[in-house]
Amino acid sequence: MVTPSTVERLDTIASVDSPEQVRFEYRVAGPARRALAYVIDLLIKAAVLIVLGGLLVVGGVKYDQLTGWSMGVYAVVAFAMEWGYNVLFESLTSGRTPGKRVLRLRVVKEGGHPIGFIDALLRNLLRAADFLPSGYALGVVVMGLDPRFRRLGDLMAGTMVVVEEHSHLGAAVRLSPPPTPQELAAMPSAARLEPAEREALDLFVRRLDRLGPARADELAGLVLPRFADRLPAAATGIPSSGSPRTGPARWLALLYLRATERRPTAPRSD
Amino acid sequence: MHPQDHFVAARKADWQLLDVLLTQAPALHRLAPASISRAGALYRSLCSDLMRARSAGYDTELLAYLDGLAARAHNMLYGARPLSLRSLGGFVAHAFPRALRANGRFFAIATLLFVVPLVLSLVATLVHPEFAPAVLPQEALDASAESYAEGLEGRESGSDATMAGFYVYNNVGIAFRCFATGVLFGLGSMFFLVYNGVVIGTVLGWVIVQGHGTNILTFVCGHGAFELTAICIAGGAGLQMGYALVRTEGRTRLGSLRAQAPAVGTIVGGAAIMLAIAAAIEGFWSPSGVPAPVKWTVAGGLWLLVIAYLALAGRRRVP
Repeated sequence: MVTPSTVERLDTIASVDSPEQVRFEYRVAGPARRALAYVIDLLIKAAVLIVLGGLLVVGGVKYDQLTGWSMGVYAVVAFAMEWGYNVLFESLTSGRTPGKRVLRLRVVKEGGHPIGFIDALLRNLLRAADFLPSGYALGVVVMGLDPRFRRLGDLMAGTMVVVEEHSHLGAAVRLSPPPTPQELAAMPSAARLEPAEREALDLFVRRLDRLGPARADELAGLVLPRFADRLPAAATGIPSSGSPRTGPARWLALLYLRATERRPTAPRSD
Repeated sequence: MHPQDHFVAARKADWQLLDVLLTQAPALHRLAPASISRAGALYRSLCSDLMRARSAGYDTELLAYLDGLAARAHNMLYGARPLSLRSLGGFVAHAFPRALRANGRFFAIATLLFVVPLVLSLVATLVHPEFAPAVLPQEALDASAESYAEGLEGRESGSDATMAGFYVYNNVGIAFRCFATGVLFGLGSMFFLVYNGVVIGTVLGWVIVQGHGTNILTFVCGHGAFELTAICIAGGAGLQMGYALVRTEGRTRLGSLRAQAPAVGTIVGGAAIMLAIAAAIEGFWSPSGVPAPVKWTVAGGLWLLVIAYLALAGRRRVP
C-alpha cells in the first residue's frame, strides 16, 4: 500500500524537500489569481503616477511653468514604477508585491527559498517576453504547458509563485443536522479506512454544505460500493437517493465520523 | 481522547508562537536575536511534528496547517542575503564588469547588430533623404525634426523637457525588450537590436538633413554613453540566453538556460543600473539649458568613463 506522502499528486501542488528531510507542499498559483494580483499592482502604480503628475502640474501652474526638473522627476519615477516596482518589492519583502500580498501569493525559488535580487530582476525583466505579442499571451501559454504554472521569467529565474495557506487549526468536521447517537451507534466503530480513503472522506464531508443534496448523493453513490462491500451489516437499506438525512452522502459522513471517533459538535479549539 | 487531540493539545502553543513570530516581521533579520534562535528551534520541532502527523495519518486539515506553517517558516529561515549597499558596491566594482568581459563575445555581436544598421541607415538617409520616409512614417519623422528645431541653450525649460519623460520610458523599454526577447532562441534580441539601430540611425539622419543636427547631437550625447551601451549589453545578454537554448552542451534546454542565469542576471543588472543613470542624465541634464560646448565636453568624459569602466574595473592584479 502506498502512503499519501509518497504519492505524486496530480494537482497544482509542488513538493519541496527541506534540509530537515521534511517535504513541504506548496500550492502553486494559477494564472487567474496572479492576474488579479497584477491588476492590483497596476492600479497602485497608476495611482502613484497620477498623484505625482497632479502635484507637478499644480506646482507648475503655481510657478507659471513646468520646469525641466519636474519633468525629470516624473520621468525617473515613471521609470522606477515600470521596471523597478516589482523587482524592489519582490526582493525586499521576500517575494511579495502589494498585489501579491492581498491575494496571499509569494514568489519563491523552486527549493522553497526566498528569492534574491537577481532572481527578481530576471523574472520581471522577462515580462517583456511573456507579454508578447500582447497582453501576456505568450506567458499564459507557457504557464499552461508547465505543471508549476511558470511563465518564461519564472523558468529563467528558477522561481514559482505559490499560494500561502493560512488554514486554521482545529476546525472540526461539522455535519448538519448533527448526527444522533443512534445513527452513530449503527455504524461500525472500528471501520478500517486506508489513509487515502480517510483523506477522501474528510474532504468530502468538509465540502458537503457546498454541494447540492442530489449532487452529494450522486458523488457518494460512486464510492459507496467500495465501503458497502466491506461493511454489509451497516450498509443494508441505504436508498440510492433520498432526503439529506438518509441518503448515501449522509451514510458516508457518519461512517467517517464514527471511524475517526471525532465528535462533530466539539467546540473549535482556537 | 483521540491521539490526534493529545498531539494538538501538547504542541499547539509552540505552533502558534511560531506563527506569531513569522507574522511579526517581514524578514527574519528584523527580529530580535533571541526571537530568531527561538524561531529556528520552533521550526525544527515543527518539522518533526509534521513528519509524525503524516505518518500517523492525522486529519488533512491539521496536515495542511502544519504544512503551510512549515513552508512559511522555511521560506523565512533559509533567507536570501538581504540587499545592502556593500553588496551593491561589490556588484558595481567587480561582479558586473567581470561577468560582461567573460561573456564579451555576446556583447560584441550585439554591438555589431545594433551599430552596423544604425550607421548604414544614417548614411543612407544623409545620402538619399528619401530613404527615411521609406522606413518610418512621415508624421513620426516630422515630429522628431520639429522637437529638435529649437536649441536648448540658454533656456530654463521647454516642450523638449516634456519629451524627456517619454524618451526615458521608451528607451529603457527598448533596452529591456532587446534583452527579454532573447529567451525566444535569440531571435527577439536580434530583431530588436537591428530594428532599433535602423530607427535611431534614420531619425538621426533625418533630423540632421533637416538642419537640426547640432541640436539632436547635443541632446543625446550626454546620456548616449550609458544608454546606447546599455542597449548593446542588454541585447548581448539576450543573445546569451538564446545561445544557451540552442547549444545545450548535453543539458536539457531548460537546464542549459538556467545555467546561464547567474551570469545573465549579473550582466542585465549592470545594464539596468546604467539605464537608471542614463534616465537621470536624460531627465535632468540633457534637456537643461547648459551651453552646448559644456555638454560635449561632459559627454566625452562620460564615454571615456564608460569604456574605461567596462574594460578595466574588477581586473585582478597580475602577480
